[in-house]
Amino acid sequence: MTVPKTLEDLIEEFKKLPGVGRKTAERYAMFIINKYTIDEVHQFSEVLEDAKTKLHQCSVCGNLTDEDKCYICQDNFRDLSTILVVENAKDVFSIEKASEYKGLYHVLNGVVSPMDGMGPEDINLESLWKRVINDQVKEIIIATSSTPEGETTALYIKRVLQETDILVSRIGYGVPVGLNLEYADDLTLSKAIENRKKIS
Amino acid sequence: MFINTISLSNYRGYKKADISFGKSVNFFVGNNGSGKTNLLESIYFLALAKSYKTVDTSTIKTDSEFARITAKITSDKDFSSKIVISKIGKKISINNKEIDKLSDYIGKIKVLAFLPEDMDLIKGAPKNRRYFIDMIIGQFDKNYLIELGNYKNVLKQRNELLKILSENHSKDFTLLDIYTEQLSTSAEIIINLRTRFITKINDELEQMYHYLSANGKKICFKYNPLIERDILIQLKEKYQKDIFFRTTSVGPHRDDYDFLIDDIYAKDFASQGEQRIIILAILLSIANIIIKEKKVKPILLLDDVFSELDYLRQNQLVKYLTTADLQSIITTTNIKDINNSFLNNSKIFSVKNHLIREDKI
Ligand SMILES: Nc1ncnc2c1ncn2[C@@H]1O[C@H](COP(=O)(O)OP(=O)(O)OP(=O)(O)O)[C@@H](O)[C@H]1O
Ligand SMILES: [Mg+2]
Ligand SMILES: [Zn+2]
Repeated sequence: MTVPKTLEDLIEEFKKLPGVGRKTAERYAMFIINKYTIDEVHQFSEVLEDAKTKLHQCSVCGNLTDEDKCYICQDNFRDLSTILVVENAKDVFSIEKASEYKGLYHVLNGVVSPMDGMGPEDINLESLWKRVINDQVKEIIIATSSTPEGETTALYIKRVLQETDILVSRIGYGVPVGLNLEYADDLTLSKAIENRKKIS
Repeated sequence: MFINTISLSNYRGYKKADISFGKSVNFFVGNNGSGKTNLLESIYFLALAKSYKTVDTSTIKTDSEFARITAKITSDKDFSSKIVISKIGKKISINNKEIDKLSDYIGKIKVLAFLPEDMDLIKGAPKNRRYFIDMIIGQFDKNYLIELGNYKNVLKQRNELLKILSENHSKDFTLLDIYTEQLSTSAEIIINLRTRFITKINDELEQMYHYLSANGKKICFKYNPLIERDILIQLKEKYQKDIFFRTTSVGPHRDDYDFLIDDIYAKDFASQGEQRIIILAILLSIANIIIKEKKVKPILLLDDVFSELDYLRQNQLVKYLTTADLQSIITTTNIKDINNSFLNNSKIFSVKNHLIREDKI
C-alpha cells in the first residue's frame, strides 16, 4: 500500500484540519486531483493565501476583518452603549445571523485557562478595558461559553469592572451547560441575549 | 444479584471455558499461573468494561484476534451480557443488543473486588487510599465523581496560575481569588460527601471487623481532612506559601485516611493478616451499604484472599459469606483449611493450565 509521496503530502495537509481523518483526507485529495482544473487549483491556493495574509483582527474589537476596523465597528447605526463579549469571531457570525442584536462586539480570541498557557493578558482584554474607559459604553454582556473556562473568564471580567459604573451581565443560557455558541440556533441565541442576567 | 454462567473465548490463557457458578461461595483452586486471577479478571471486565491489570488488548489470548466474554446474570430481571475485545476496540451487548454508551452499561453488574494490590491500602501511599475511597463513593453517587472532576480541573488551573504569579511576582490576585473561591465551593462538597461516607462505613465496620477478626478489638476508620471549616479563609491565608511553592498546599487532594485498632495506628503496627482482615471488613461493610441503599447484593470477587490468614480467620470469612448469602468467587491455591460444612454448601472448581473442572464432593 504505497502512495506516491506527492499525494501523501497533500493527504497529510488535509488531515491537519479539524474533523478530517485519513479517509476524508484521501477523498479530498483525490477529488482535487481528478476533478479540479489547473485554474481551479490556482484559484484555491490564491484564496487560501489571501485569507491568511489579508485577514487580521479589527483594531477596535478583535473581530476578523480585512480592513483596519471591521464592518460592525464602522457601522454608524449600531448602539454604541452596549458591548457583547464573545470568545471568537465565529460567535459574531452566529449572532449576526440571528440579527436581533444591535450593539457592538468585543472578540477575546480565547478564554482564560492557565493550564493551556492562556492568562488574562493572553486574550484580547487590554483593549476591552480601554474601550470601557474611553467610549460611551453603559453595558457589557458577556457571552463566553458555559464551560468552566468560559465561566471563569466571565467572572474575571466582572471582577475587573466591579469598580466602574458599567452594568455587567451574563448571557442567559437556555442552552445546555458546556455548549458552544456556534452550535446554538438563532432563536436560542436571541433568547439568550434577551435573558441576560446581572452577575452577582 | 448473581452471575449464573460465564463463557470465555481466547481470554488471557483460556482458549475456551464454560462455568456454571453456584449462588453462594465458589472456590477456584489451582497452582500458581494456572489461570485463577485471569478468570476473576474476566468477571471484573464484564462489570467495569475494562481490565484491572493492564490495557484491554492484553487480555486477548496470544495469537488470537479477539477475546469474548459472555455471561448470564440474574438481577431484577435476567439478562445476558457480552463483551468482545479486539485490537480496534470493544463491543458490549446486553441481550444481544449493542450498547452505544459505556456509562449506560457500567454499574449494571455490581461487583466488589479484593485484589492482592489492595493490600497497599493500609501501609501504602495516601494516594492509594484516596483513589480507593473516591472510586467507592463514586459507585454510590455519580455526582461525587463529577464534583471531583470539577475540583481537579480548578486545581490544575490554580496550580498553573500559581506558577505564573511566582514568576512575574505579580500582586494581582483577581484570578487567583476566582479559582480559590471555585476550589473552596467544590472542596466543601467533596469533604462533606467523604465525611458522610466514612461515617456510614464505620456504622458497619465495627461489627464486621469483630466477626472476621474473631477478637474484641475495636476498629475505627478515620478521615482526616486537612481543612474542614472556613475553607475559603484557610485557602486565602496560604496565598504566599502557595505562590512560593507553586502549588495548592491544602485541600481534599491532599487528604488522608487512617485505620485505628484499639486506638493504635494500623499503618504502623498491623501484621499482614490483620491488614487483610481490615480490608476485607471494609469491603464487606461496603457490600452491606450497597445492599441497604441500592437494594441489590453485589457479587464478591476475592483473589487469593486466604494467604496469610490462619485457620480460624479463613473459616470466619467463609462462614460470613455463607450466612450472608453473598455470591462470591474465591481464588486460592488450596482449601485444606476450610471446614467441610462450608465446603458442602459451596461449589469447588479446580484450575489447571487454564482448564477448569468442577469437583463434585
Ligand atoms: N493474553 C494472554 N495470552 C495467553 N496467556 C496469558 C495471557 N495473559 C496472561 N497469560 C498467562 O496467564 C498466566 C497467569 O495466570 P493467572 O494470573 O490467572 O494465574 P493464577 O492462577 O492467578 O496464579 P497465582 O496463584 O500465582 O496468582 C501466566 O502464565 C500468563 O502467561
Ligand atoms: Mg493470581
Ligand atoms: Zn471591530
